[in-house]
Parts: sequence; C-alpha cells; structure tokens
Amino acid sequence: MERGYWIRSKPVYTSLVWHEKATSHLVLTQDDGGMALLKLFQLKHPKQAINVLYANNPSSKVNYAKTLEKVVPEGLQIFNTEQEVLCAFNDVLPTMFMGLRLYVAGSESFIWSVSECAKAHGIEDADIMKELTGTLARTVYCVHCKAITHDITTNIGKCCGCGRMLFVRDHFSRRLGAYMGLMVDAESPGVLPEIEEIYP
Amino acid sequence: MSTIDVKVAAIEQVTTLVKHFTFVKEDGSVLPAFSGGSHVVISLSIGGRVHRNPYSLMGSPEDTSAYHISVRRQERSRGGSVYMHDNVTVGMQFKITYPVNLFSLAKKARKHILIAGGIGITPFMSQIADLERLGADYELHYAFRAPEHGAFAEKLNKTCGNRLHCYIDSVGERLDLSVLLGNQPLGTHVYVCGPNAMVVSVLEVARNFGWPENHVHIEQFLAPPIGEPFKIQLARSNKEIQVPADMSMLEAIEAAGVEADFLCRGGACGRCELQVLETDGALLHHDHFLTDAEKASCKKIMPCVSRAKCERLLLDI
Repeated sequence: MERGYWIRSKPVYTSLVWHEKATSHLVLTQDDGGMALLKLFQLKHPKQAINVLYANNPSSKVNYAKTLEKVVPEGLQIFNTEQEVLCAFNDVLPTMFMGLRLYVAGSESFIWSVSECAKAHGIEDADIMKELTGTLARTVYCVHCKAITHDITTNIGKCCGCGRMLFVRDHFSRRLGAYMGLMVDAESPGVLPEIEEIYP
Repeated sequence: MSTIDVKVAAIEQVTTLVKHFTFVKEDGSVLPAFSGGSHVVISLSIGGRVHRNPYSLMGSPEDTSAYHISVRRQERSRGGSVYMHDNVTVGMQFKITYPVNLFSLAKKARKHILIAGGIGITPFMSQIADLERLGADYELHYAFRAPEHGAFAEKLNKTCGNRLHCYIDSVGERLDLSVLLGNQPLGTHVYVCGPNAMVVSVLEVARNFGWPENHVHIEQFLAPPIGEPFKIQLARSNKEIQVPADMSMLEAIEAAGVEADFLCRGGACGRCELQVLETDGALLHHDHFLTDAEKASCKKIMPCVSRAKCERLLLDI
C-alpha cells in the first residue's frame, strides 16, 4: 500500500488513559480488553467515581476477571456475555450526567456496539476513548446484498448473505460498525487474488 | 464576494442602547434562506472608509421576507455601531453578504443550554425559532445588567415560557455556571454568546466538569482593536501598505484594492487566514481561531482582528 494513503473513515484506536477532567468514569470492556483495563488501573486512579462493566469470556486463555476483582477498587460488574454488558450500559445511561467519560476496550465489533448505544443518548463516537484489543477481525458489509458478515480475518471474505467473494476495504461505517466489502471477481468470475490472513 | 442589495424597512429603539433594524430586498423579493445562529456582514461607508461589521440574524429562519439585526451602541469603538444608531434611517440602502452560520445548533443534541450575556442574545433569537419548530428540549439563560437592558426579555418570555431564565445584575441575580453545567443529562450541548469573561467562564467550567469540547459552542465576534500603526508588505500583489491605528489589516488590504477572503471579520471563522512569509517584529494575535501553537509559530495571522508591531511583515497575498 502506498505510504501516506489513508481512508478518512477508518477508525483510529488508542490506548486507554484516564481523562483528568470528568465528573465520573465508565469503562466497558470485553474479553481481551481485560488487559487494557488492567493497564488503565496501573495508572494513577482518578478522583471521581469509576464504574467498570466487563464481559468475561470463560474460554479465554487468561482469566482477567479474577485479577480485575483484585485490582479494580470499586464499581466492577462482571458479566458472561457482551449482550449483558450492553444491556447494563443501556440501563445506566439515562441516569448519567454530562461529564461522564466513556472508555471502551475490546474487539472492533464490541467497540461499535457500545458506540451505537451511546449515540442514542447523544454521545458522539469522538467522545468515547477506544482501544482495540485481541483481534483485528473485521465486520464486513456487503454492498451487493447488504448482509453483514462478522469476524473476517482475510483480505477477501465470503459474504454470509449472497456468497460473493468480497474484497474488504478500509472504508468504515460508524453507523453499521462495518467495513465495506465489494465483489472481487465481478469482471472475471472465479479469478481470485491470493487470499491472505491480514486481520488476525 | 457576492452581496445582496437591501434597504432599511424599519428601525426600532429597543432599549436606550439597542436598536433593531429590519432589512428587505430592494426589489421586494425574498431573501436567501438561513439557519438559526447565522450572521451577515454589512458594509457601511463612513467618512470615505468602508466598515464591514458582522451582525447575527435574529428573525425566524421561516420568514425570509426580511432580515432582522440588533445593534448595541458601543461608544469606545471604531464607529460602526454609532453610525448605525445615529445615521442610518429608513429607506437607506446597504450591501450585505449572504448569511453564514458559524454558530449552528448541534442536530444530534438531546438538550440545548443557551447562555446569553447582554446583546449576545441576538444569535439565540433565530436559534430559538428553530428549536421551537423542532420541539427540542432547551433552556435559555439570559443575563443582563439592569431591567431596562433586557432588550428582548419580554418577547422571549412569550416564546420560551418557563424555558427562559433571566439574571439581572443590578438586583444581584447571578447565573451559577457550576450549578447549571454540573448536572445536565448526557447528550446536552451548551452555547454561549456574550462578553469575553462570560465566554471564558463557560469554557472553563465545562472543561472542568469534563464536557467534551464538541459539546461546547461559542460565538464571539471581536471588533478589530485599535492599536499602533504598522507597515505590511503584500508579496503576491507586490504592494507595501500602512495599517493605520484605527483600521484592521484586512481593511487596509481591501482599501489598497487587493481582494481578500473573509467571512466573519471577527476572529472566529479562520477564513481570512494569511501566511506570514517574513517579519522583523512581533505578531499581536487577537483571534479565537488559531491554536496557541500556531500563534507562537508566527507563520499565520488573521488580518481581520490581529495586528503587529514591526516594520516588515510580508504576507502571502
């Protein structure tokens, strides 16, 4: 890829650090996001109230939940699924005030599910600090049949809706939380470039 | 820059210091549509010199048969507002720019907190028309010096009802920003237009409470400050011009017959930005647009409000 080439819609993720100015903090994490959470609590803790919602993955190699219980001083809630975290988030949002700072760490699909919930409460995605952890696997939106395929780790992936082989682009939709995928062999059916794992 | 020919259809003295002007198109046709918070720049020819002053449109955006502005008389200034008060009469013709909005409402906001100080109420007048039409959740906090200076309090009371909160300085009423900004629901946006101290306080309180920057909106047009005269050189037009004490760099450039870009003429929008190619002195930045780092770099300047203390200031225009 040409140096300096950049698709502006492609999200930029950073490492989580506490906001100094805030009235409260809410951190949402999932699975390997546990490491980002542990790193966050290595930093000087903020003075304001902290709440942490963590979706544990029992089949994960590292048991972050156990360590988090020791490290997080207050406000830790551990759930078994992402969906439960999102439900808890939806329940707590209407009771929160401006000055709440939001942090999210986990897979890209988790990050944008959180962002979508927050948007319904007038929080823009730019207001959320985001750290991508664990995997670069992409959610892909098929521009032909509009189906959304999850966890694509290769440059070209098969659409779960229409079966077309889709080239995964960097164009990203914040609303859908998905990258654009378009048929790679439209002009020469069956002739595919080499399929490589680039989003492990 | 394309302009619209208008004439003064009505003038109303609203308070001892504020006059309300109604403009209509000379040919009687409708004016361009605008959104709440927009402003226009009016060209005034005063003593052989062209002043271009920005004023917020305060009518309802639904009514484009006329534009409404209000002007507060500023005695210690360069004369634009005094001219509007003392010399402008019904029927006079002016050229104005097309409306531009540098203070638009955040469409996705769940709640809007509008904070006005004195004549800073004007951009909110058109915003409130929009908010009422949209049925949006909002509060208007309007601070002014004394009961007789609450230019639009009565009118606003009719429109806004209990959404209006007035703070009259002379009877000791103060707006407590910490209380106001300390417990607003998520998704609230705050807007402020008023004296510099008020704008700075809102920015500071919001920042300290952890409001994201994109939820805080300010409108602050500066009048170009009066300063020491200085000389500038224009690289592309190959001219050297003197900037007099009571003229801005932008006005001096225009007076020399060089066409320069502009929108707000008040240090807010960044449109008139010029590259500084060389200078032998200090740049006196007065704008709200450049970052502190950009100001310190001495590579850019906003000629609408900023000045310099130098013999040589080579600009890329």
